Amino acid sequence: MTTKYDNQNSDKSMKASWYEAAKGGAVVAGVFSVIILGLLVLNYLQKELLDPVRAERLENLKVTLIEQPKNEQLINTIRELDLQLRKDKIRRLQFSQKGGLLLLGAVGVFLIGIKSAKAFKAKLPHPTAVTDQQARQIRQAILARWVTVASLAVLVLAVLFFINTPPIDFAGAVSSYLSDEEIAKNWASFRGPQGSGISAYTNIPTKWDGKSGESIIWKTAVPLPGHNSPVVWGDRVFLTGANKQKRQVYCFDAISGKLLWQADMINPASAADKTLDMYEDTGYAASTVATDGRRVCAIFPTGDVGCFDFEGKKLWSRNLGTPDSMYGYASSLAMYQNLLLIQYDQATADDNKSKMIALDTFSGATVWETKRPVPGSWTSPIVIKIGGQSQLITCAEPWVIAYNPSNGVELWRVECLGTDVAPSPIYAGGLIFGIHSYNSLVAIKPTGQGDVTKTHIAWKAADNIPDICSPVSNGKLIFLLESYGKLTCYNVSDGTKLWEEDLKTSFTSSPSLVGDRLYLLSEKGIMSIAKVGSEYTEVAKSSLGEKCYASPAFSDGRIYIRGVENLYCIGDKN
Amino acid sequence: MLRFGHISICIFISIVLCGVVFGAERFPPPDFDESGHELPSTDYITNITPRHTIYNYLDVAVLVAALSLSSWFVLKKRSRRSVFILMVFSLVYFGFWRKGCICPIGAIQNFSLSIFDHNYALSVTAILFLILPLIFTLFFGRTFCAGVCPLGAIQDLVVLRPIKVPSWLESSLRLFAYIYLAAAILFAATGSAFIICRYDLFISFFRLSGHLNMLILGCCFLVIGMFVARPYCRFICPYGVILRQLSRLSKWKVTITPDDCIKCKLCEDSCPFGAITKPTVEWPQIGYTKSRKLLALLILLLPVLIFLGGFGGSSLNRSWSRMHATVRLAERIYLENQGLLSETTDASSAFRATGEPIEDLYDQASVIRKQFKFGGWLLGSFIGLVAGLKLIIPSIRRQRTDFQADSASCLACGRCFKYCPKEQVRLKSLSEKQEIADDDKI
Repeated sequence: MTTKYDNQNSDKSMKASWYEAAKGGAVVAGVFSVIILGLLVLNYLQKELLDPVRAERLENLKVTLIEQPKNEQLINTIRELDLQLRKDKIRRLQFSQKGGLLLLGAVGVFLIGIKSAKAFKAKLPHPTAVTDQQARQIRQAILARWVTVASLAVLVLAVLFFINTPPIDFAGAVSSYLSDEEIAKNWASFRGPQGSGISAYTNIPTKWDGKSGESIIWKTAVPLPGHNSPVVWGDRVFLTGANKQKRQVYCFDAISGKLLWQADMINPASAADKTLDMYEDTGYAASTVATDGRRVCAIFPTGDVGCFDFEGKKLWSRNLGTPDSMYGYASSLAMYQNLLLIQYDQATADDNKSKMIALDTFSGATVWETKRPVPGSWTSPIVIKIGGQSQLITCAEPWVIAYNPSNGVELWRVECLGTDVAPSPIYAGGLIFGIHSYNSLVAIKPTGQGDVTKTHIAWKAADNIPDICSPVSNGKLIFLLESYGKLTCYNVSDGTKLWEEDLKTSFTSSPSLVGDRLYLLSEKGIMSIAKVGSEYTEVAKSSLGEKCYASPAFSDGRIYIRGVENLYCIGDKN
Repeated sequence: MLRFGHISICIFISIVLCGVVFGAERFPPPDFDESGHELPSTDYITNITPRHTIYNYLDVAVLVAALSLSSWFVLKKRSRRSVFILMVFSLVYFGFWRKGCICPIGAIQNFSLSIFDHNYALSVTAILFLILPLIFTLFFGRTFCAGVCPLGAIQDLVVLRPIKVPSWLESSLRLFAYIYLAAAILFAATGSAFIICRYDLFISFFRLSGHLNMLILGCCFLVIGMFVARPYCRFICPYGVILRQLSRLSKWKVTITPDDCIKCKLCEDSCPFGAITKPTVEWPQIGYTKSRKLLALLILLLPVLIFLGGFGGSSLNRSWSRMHATVRLAERIYLENQGLLSETTDASSAFRATGEPIEDLYDQASVIRKQFKFGGWLLGSFIGLVAGLKLIIPSIRRQRTDFQADSASCLACGRCFKYCPKEQVRLKSLSEKQEIADDDKI
């Protein structure tokens, strides 16, 4: 028979055994946890240190692949490396997941062990006597108040810190897009503000000579060829150039002519396709860029479109698919608020491929797309403002169509054009002018809804209609320039032909208007300057000494002309 | 000799570092078009059916059962062991099984949003999860915290060597919980964010996945929790703020002793949460007038603090409002448009792709800012009120004669029971009867 004392001793002995067991278990679980943890950290370090190096190498190889798409060895290397990276990632992921669970379990065992050990060796309470309870109570009350005051002080500091963050006032942000004044002061797209070809400045030089350097402020070689025209914003001049292999955007310093940067437009989708052969007269860079003063956007016949900031950093680029264009894609870009407007006409009307695309200039995301019932065209869209409302005007066989540039909804359309439309529309004297190549000049009242062919054509003219050059107008007179040199003047209000003049040379560049002077740049690089009036009166003639196909750009006191090889800045050297 | 404290610190530091476990990233699909690789269908994502409603009611039933058991274990059975077992069960069920969602703490936000947004449908489950613990607290004290809350349970399990936080410090640190509660309601009511869920410290453990930063923060809290018991419950939990006040009014309260207190002091250090109040001595007469003047001054200061708090809170409306996605987007778009940022984000690109007028976005952001201005007044005033009361309360001289579980702070864990000799007597008398019975059998 056992006594109570024996039982107690037995209990103590058992408790001591359990204590040792619990302690041992906790130590083993703890060590095990540390080992697992070490392995997990090692796994993590491998992921953080080793994988990025190999991933970077893989990315570099992929870039090389764009340049060498047929390099089979390179392709195999990429595949092997890619596969290895994926295998390693999966392995590490599984390792970390299993390790994590194991660690959790081990920590659980450790906790059970340590808590059990603590329970088997519980200490008895030892109450202590407080000598001065009154003073303690008062001290605690004082401390509690002071700590609360300190907490409040921290809160106040936090409030002051956050109040000082720079405020953003949305009330003043409504007009964050470019104002009409800013657009008018610059030459932001093909043929300047509203695609009109009209200079905002009248202090443009009339006399220069490319050979002697008279009034040539600077002349800079353009790396790659292109028929696109210069675009000017502040002290930056933008162009593009391309050949079968490369597509580039250039930025020149307007002050010195220095090439500030050049950026490649590379997209994997188009880079692999080296089969695009362009019509020689169009070339690989016919489309003029557009800028909103903060970024410049370009498009190429490969369907590559992209935006760069003014420092040459690519913001985005994408490939819209190579357009099916008989003579090669040549439409220039337009901008409206944050939208890059692309007239993507191609193939035949039945193919249903033509569309108007609006991309967000910030991100390249498609904001809207509107199908167009037209075949390929070579005109450029213009954005005009009529009665406070903006309209996007486009020309292609057989329609002149106006859209709301915000959402692509069609406003009105007029059936008046024929095949192979190249001259771009203009807005002058309250009328839209569209050109049916070789056939007719059509003046349209830009109002109404739907098909307004029967009601909104103000007048038509049929003499000396150009096939390439866009018209120019001062609102009272409109001037047409045929590619073989015939300049014709019509009255804007009723379409009466006032006069014509044969300049006896060929033109690709569209005419421009500077105050009361017409600037007519021939393919030979000779600028004929004529007074606007009731008859043709030539006031000056200057030669660049280099062939020119692009239209000039104007800024304060300067004219920028792209020759086939060089970009010229003409103005007063002083 | 290898000390357990050292081991435990090592282990928990290692847990912190093992946050990398869940940091592995996914990788993009192969980009070899000619390889014929087909992307896996995402139908399984879109075809996920919601959890059957019956399970939601099952959760409610489990909650009611757990609350009932917890109350019974604490008040009637007075068994710490039973509470502990229930706590482990709740950790497994509401924590690891139900992944910590839905929980009464987060339900505060659902409730707040449903009041201010009429388009937001509040589920019955959310209402019950919010209200049931409140009702039980009103009758039985914080028995929810004791054995039902998974967040409390995970912290309770790691309590190893709790140190005593001085009452004056504890009271001030608790101010953060009030701020957190007010901010959670403000952000939820404005539809900005459910910050209680977003910054849930322990959800990463329950789901075995989560944001690395939150995992590390959760680990840090567990490490701290080894020495400062249940730090989240005591100083941060916004639901605890409500439970504290209701617990003061509870009909049946937790008592340390099953009988009269004999002031043996054995229990005075038994509570790791510092929830045992000691008998007070008589307050000194010296400086009595001065103390009364101070109290009067602090009472007069209260409306000033409320006003200043409200003013400060409303002044922060622009900072607060950045928690709202619309305001963040509007500010981002603004900066991009101003040329102050050259790159876009996914959100700004997506917005621009919609073609929505930016002015509309700015208008929406302005409206939200106004809401925050008003809400900031309320939030700031509330914080001013709480801070003012925290200044006043220490100046109120109260008399206590027994060792008592502070009804507001007591988490009803039952740790203190066994320290009371009267409780030992109660338990011993049962065992004596058992011994007699055993002897009779022999």
